[in-house]
Amino acid sequence: MIFCLTKSSVFIMGSSNLSCVPGQRLCLADDTHISGCGTYERQGYIYSTLAGEARVVEKDKSYVVEVHSSNEQSIVPTPGDIVTAMVMMVNPRFCKCMIKCIGDVVLTRPYRAILRREDVRAFEKDLIEMYQCFRPADIILARVVSFLKTIVNYYLQGINLPTTDLHSYQLSTAENELGVVIAHSEAGVAMVPISWTEMQCPKTYNKEPRKVAKVVPESIPVDNANME
Amino acid sequence: MFAMPVDTKRIQGPEVSVPYDQFLAQQSQQSNEEAIGKERIDGRKSDELREIFLKTAVLSQAKGSAYIEMNNTKVICSVFDPREIPRKSEFSVNGELFCEFKYAPFSCRRKRGHQQDSEEKEMSAYLKRALEPAVCRHEFPNLQVDVYALVLENDGSALAAAITCAGLALADASIPMFDLVVAVQMGISITGKKFLDPTLEEEAYCFTLSGSDEKGSFGRVTAAFLPSLEQFSQVVQDGSMVTETYVEVLKELAHASKDAYRLSQECLLKAVQTSKEIKNAEQKN
Amino acid sequence: MALKLLSDAEKVFILHGVKDDFRCDGRTRQEYRPIEVETEIVSNASGSARVRLANTDILVGVKTEIDTPSPTKPNEGKLEFFVDCSANATPAFEGRGGEELATEISNTLSKAYLCETVFDLQSLCILPGQQCWKLYVDILILECGGNLFDGVSLAVKSAIYNTKVPRIASATIDGGVVDLQLSDDPYDFQTLDVSSAPVLVTLTKIGERCVVDPTAEEEACSLVSVVLAVTEKGRCVTTLVRGEGSLHEDTLIDMLKVGTSLGIEMNKALKAALKLEQSKGENKERFGFLK
Repeated sequence: MIFCLTKSSVFIMGSSNLSCVPGQRLCLADDTHISGCGTYERQGYIYSTLAGEARVVEKDKSYVVEVHSSNEQSIVPTPGDIVTAMVMMVNPRFCKCMIKCIGDVVLTRPYRAILRREDVRAFEKDLIEMYQCFRPADIILARVVSFLKTIVNYYLQGINLPTTDLHSYQLSTAENELGVVIAHSEAGVAMVPISWTEMQCPKTYNKEPRKVAKVVPESIPVDNANME
Repeated sequence: MFAMPVDTKRIQGPEVSVPYDQFLAQQSQQSNEEAIGKERIDGRKSDELREIFLKTAVLSQAKGSAYIEMNNTKVICSVFDPREIPRKSEFSVNGELFCEFKYAPFSCRRKRGHQQDSEEKEMSAYLKRALEPAVCRHEFPNLQVDVYALVLENDGSALAAAITCAGLALADASIPMFDLVVAVQMGISITGKKFLDPTLEEEAYCFTLSGSDEKGSFGRVTAAFLPSLEQFSQVVQDGSMVTETYVEVLKELAHASKDAYRLSQECLLKAVQTSKEIKNAEQKN
Repeated sequence: MALKLLSDAEKVFILHGVKDDFRCDGRTRQEYRPIEVETEIVSNASGSARVRLANTDILVGVKTEIDTPSPTKPNEGKLEFFVDCSANATPAFEGRGGEELATEISNTLSKAYLCETVFDLQSLCILPGQQCWKLYVDILILECGGNLFDGVSLAVKSAIYNTKVPRIASATIDGGVVDLQLSDDPYDFQTLDVSSAPVLVTLTKIGERCVVDPTAEEEACSLVSVVLAVTEKGRCVTTLVRGEGSLHEDTLIDMLKVGTSLGIEMNKALKAALKLEQSKGENKERFGFLK
């Protein structure tokens, strides 16, 4: 069994991919060969970090060496990802959420997250009332903001961060497509969105305020005759 | 030396219970010792490892798992997805490893408790130290990866087996690692005889002094390796050793780990092959 | 140990110093800072000692009690270590912060002292299978200035050397119950033999070289360190690897050799110092915490 790839064999693209184990040396690292995901560079060589298949992808006249494993690598929320979260607690300053999915991937373990008052909308940030935007048990679409940026912003504004905030992810819904997707009314029925800021219960016809996401509905029954 | 913790959740047996084997006749133990002194009971050479059986993906509920069997020593290990560190308020740039090493109550000669006692906590610390340098902790900041090792049967070299098994389980769980971790144990008796990968009886033999001169070295060394980086990640030593003997032992352990590494590699590559074949078969359907 | 925040420039400075064998305080890589040892500090304990290694301050007290021996070892006494990292030493030890370090130190000491050739536990036996002495060795870390393991082991060895175990005048067994009579004379005691007790030597790897007795700043620059328990005759009794890094075979072997030779010298120096103190007799000048 071949345990070490030499530089020349990397060019054999058509052949079956090489199976590798963590710590296995893949090839020399130079201008044309770059380490991609699942690999690391050390002392001029590229090594694998996962047990799986090594693939070479051509990109901008250089070869990126990647390793993919059969088991999906555990996904971690990174800044810029769109996530699906459930609101747990609402507070005039922020609301606490649990991230259930990242993109299309459903997580086995939820991650804690915080959505601050200033990040709910892009305009009129000071006129927001959290309870008019979210309620506990709402499902929201949000974007993960980077950790460091928020810490720097807080210090610039002279606000003291409570230490518990630092270990949850920061979310933002300051875009049209982000916000509440599914919400239940006080009667317990799933509500229908009727505007940017309101949702209506199809049973009791009560309107409740929410920060609604502009999601194209797949199949929501709209009863035109009874809508006010 | 190692006290049993008070277990408040289970109904305990009678308070005063003593293992029966202290009342056994002493003669049978002595004759065993003489036999070990001449040649190993299972007929191995002094620098031969036991036959190792390795398998990954043995548990369906864990993200990654592995099982190792070295003759009678059996260890199973499971690894779970990164999760948030429960009691932490500061952000840490590197992820954490949480290791738990446990002997099953029926695994050793004497019954073990259900909760971790101080010896098992010490072993958990050794296991964690052996695995930490190998894992790319910067890839899961502020999260912790759980590793649980359970010894089903202890016939010597349990810690070494657990470390090798945990290394495989981490690789099976697709946790990014700089290198595989492999561990080997060696015992030295005061008569100068060395036992690579000792069984429980051979380990006990290494610690009996039986009135012989105190100039020799005796004890046991477990060393964990990162083979392709050629580095030690953990060394656990017991007993009294002269520096020259210690250095010799370390060199022999480094050499012996290559066999165990080759087996770990083959096991993982086989697992990758089978999953590839399954995927291809699924795609055809 | 205590977390020190160092800038990259400071770390590089320390690294270069270590490479040139000239550390920040002028020492070579294998030199210890000045050490002060004083025994018999606490009058209520059977034995006590205080060690000051530059600004690391450790106090050890030994209490002797009578206990039943364990059924598997009926001829041996018992020795139990307890380390208390108090919050006085450094703010990082507040609450349960110092617990992990304390367990590490006490486990290493237990492993080192419970090796058969190191400490004769049979000298602590009174009546085989029925009564034995149990020594409770309690270690208090008063100030943490780097290199805790070495300081603790020196203090423990001195305290056990200083321990006075009362002598048993008579023992009567009445229907399975043992009645012991201890000698009334306060000067009638037995001392314990610590000649083969080990001393812990910590070797810290900074850059490519290893350094002994690191200050708190030097500890913050290193990724891995090895603690060796070395006896007077140069035998290694237990090893502990600390830190987050890994060691190359040659580095480890080098550390073992350096550690053992330093351990032998440290044992010799401690023995001479303790003998000197003892020779001054009962009327020696006591300094305690005032100096």
